[in-house]
Amino acid sequence: MTRQHVHPVVRFLVAARMPIILVVLVMAASLSSENFRTQANLINVVRQVSFEAIIAFGMTLVIVTGGIDLSVGSMVALTGVVAALVMRAMPDASPVLAIGVGFACGIAVGAGVGATSGMVIATFAIPPFIVTLAGMLMARGFAFIICGGIAVHELPEQVLSVGAGFVGGVIPVPVLVMLLVYAAVATVLSRTVFGRSVVAIGSNEEAAALAGIRVGRTKAMVYLLTGGLAGLAGVMHTGKLMSGDPNVGEMWELNVIAAVVVGGTSLFGGRGTVTGTLVGALIIGVLNNSLNLMGVQQFWQNVVLGAVILLASLADAGLRRLER
Amino acid sequence: MQQYPVALFCIVVAAWIAGCEPNESPTSDDGRVTIGVTLLTEQHQFYQQLRNGMETTAAEHDYKLIITSAEGDSARQSNQVDEFIVQKVDALIVCPCDSKSVGAAIRAANIAKIPVFTADIANLSSVGEVTSHIASDNKAGGREAARMLGKAIGHKGSVAILSHPQVASVSDRVKGFREQIKLFRDVEVVAELSADGKRDKAMRVTEDLLQSHPDLTGIFAINDDTALGALAAVEAANRKAKVRIVGYDATPEARKRIDAGDIYGDVIQHPQRIGELTIQTIHDFLNGQTPPSVIPVEVGTYTGKDG
Repeated sequence: MTRQHVHPVVRFLVAARMPIILVVLVMAASLSSENFRTQANLINVVRQVSFEAIIAFGMTLVIVTGGIDLSVGSMVALTGVVAALVMRAMPDASPVLAIGVGFACGIAVGAGVGATSGMVIATFAIPPFIVTLAGMLMARGFAFIICGGIAVHELPEQVLSVGAGFVGGVIPVPVLVMLLVYAAVATVLSRTVFGRSVVAIGSNEEAAALAGIRVGRTKAMVYLLTGGLAGLAGVMHTGKLMSGDPNVGEMWELNVIAAVVVGGTSLFGGRGTVTGTLVGALIIGVLNNSLNLMGVQQFWQNVVLGAVILLASLADAGLRRLER
Repeated sequence: MQQYPVALFCIVVAAWIAGCEPNESPTSDDGRVTIGVTLLTEQHQFYQQLRNGMETTAAEHDYKLIITSAEGDSARQSNQVDEFIVQKVDALIVCPCDSKSVGAAIRAANIAKIPVFTADIANLSSVGEVTSHIASDNKAGGREAARMLGKAIGHKGSVAILSHPQVASVSDRVKGFREQIKLFRDVEVVAELSADGKRDKAMRVTEDLLQSHPDLTGIFAINDDTALGALAAVEAANRKAKVRIVGYDATPEARKRIDAGDIYGDVIQHPQRIGELTIQTIHDFLNGQTPPSVIPVEVGTYTGKDG
């Protein structure tokens, strides 16, 4: 099927299928629950989505290179605990300084762990699945070890203004951060040499290497970036809970990957957009939120979410066959 | 191709904002009292029974319950509380996933002027106001355990405690146990060691205990995993006849061993009753009463089918 045979309306529908699903979902949720279509809930949904979406933008790059990062959920816990420990160790410093240093340490740990995974993957050619699975176990283990298994609390109360605060009284801080990260990663992916290298590696690694792209370094960079973003989400989450909890972030890696896949990024690499990921994250967030508002049992929510992920990938596979 | 989704995405958000009810929520439907519940988990029998208790009493008062479960994830629990705030529930019941991490979520409900009640696990964070906390009387449970163990060993001999001091409810059990066991003049507590509430660690700790205290006659284990671990060690050392064990919770597995005479007895909690009392407390509160800040729920004992 070549381009000129396709009606522009069909082309639009195909290109915009995920946003269309989001619209339908939002309308259905609005009809089924009057609590859903309130401004307070709109803000609520987007805030809930923001933490995982921040990581999902990085994950998009990883998946576009043909890789995967399973360690991000554990990293949220580890970096959140690190930030909390640092903040608690600075009781005499001004809260702003303590928060700044604590957050910087958390993000640095995330980036460091990500860079290490990335370098191992690039240097030894071990499948990313295994390397980041190991990273997932170790990061979760260390999160418990460094706090003795007990959530770190007694933090300066001002951290709440980061995790649970608002800019201008309307936009939650995590949402603003998410939008900034979105803009930055979208620009990097579509407008920089690095971004084009990421896509080239995912499409055909050998060809990319032959074309002079430094494959190893580029791969290490995407894991570093994703680790850093997991750290950013982790420290902000510590801000929201006012506590560094080693238990948080359980299964986040799967939610994040689901958002990326629902957003139309191919797990085979070489194809994907950051905007798609944002839409994917919103679809999953709206679904979770409306099921909660309707009081659907957690077990059934898992079933629904699984079905949506499956349908999204089936639709994707079908459409790709059509395009050929 | 990328600009289509972007454009449409902007339209969605704009339409959503425009379509929103301008002045927040139209609050709860048919005028019924709505109570939001976030459980620690729905996978444990304890919480299933607690949930049943809530549902029973809520039905009596014609309250609408919205029950969610965080499955151990404080982050998810915080989101669920945010959703209940948006729904403007009349009261909130939290079974915290983590007693230190739950404070910020409770504080958010406080700001929205929604009364918060905790069941089973308390808020130990420095923020967040809880109207009332409903949980097992763990101190009384510890005293019951001491009475049982005293009886089992004929009120004389050396006993050890296998504890888990990081958990507040367990500290209360141990306190109650020590209070009661002191009253038996011929019983001496020779050791208190932590087994972290885990079976494998309990086994190792008990092996050491049996070595260092050849005259040991009794063990109080603060939960059933600990009790079963201790039992494994005692059996391996062939000292089951001399060393009696008392556990806590009477899980199905422990019940079998109690019925078989391997464990002397267990303290049992009444999760169903905790659930019922939690809703009853909210009912009293909504009708203008001031409930006490802590409401202890009685515990019982299980010493086998034959009683």
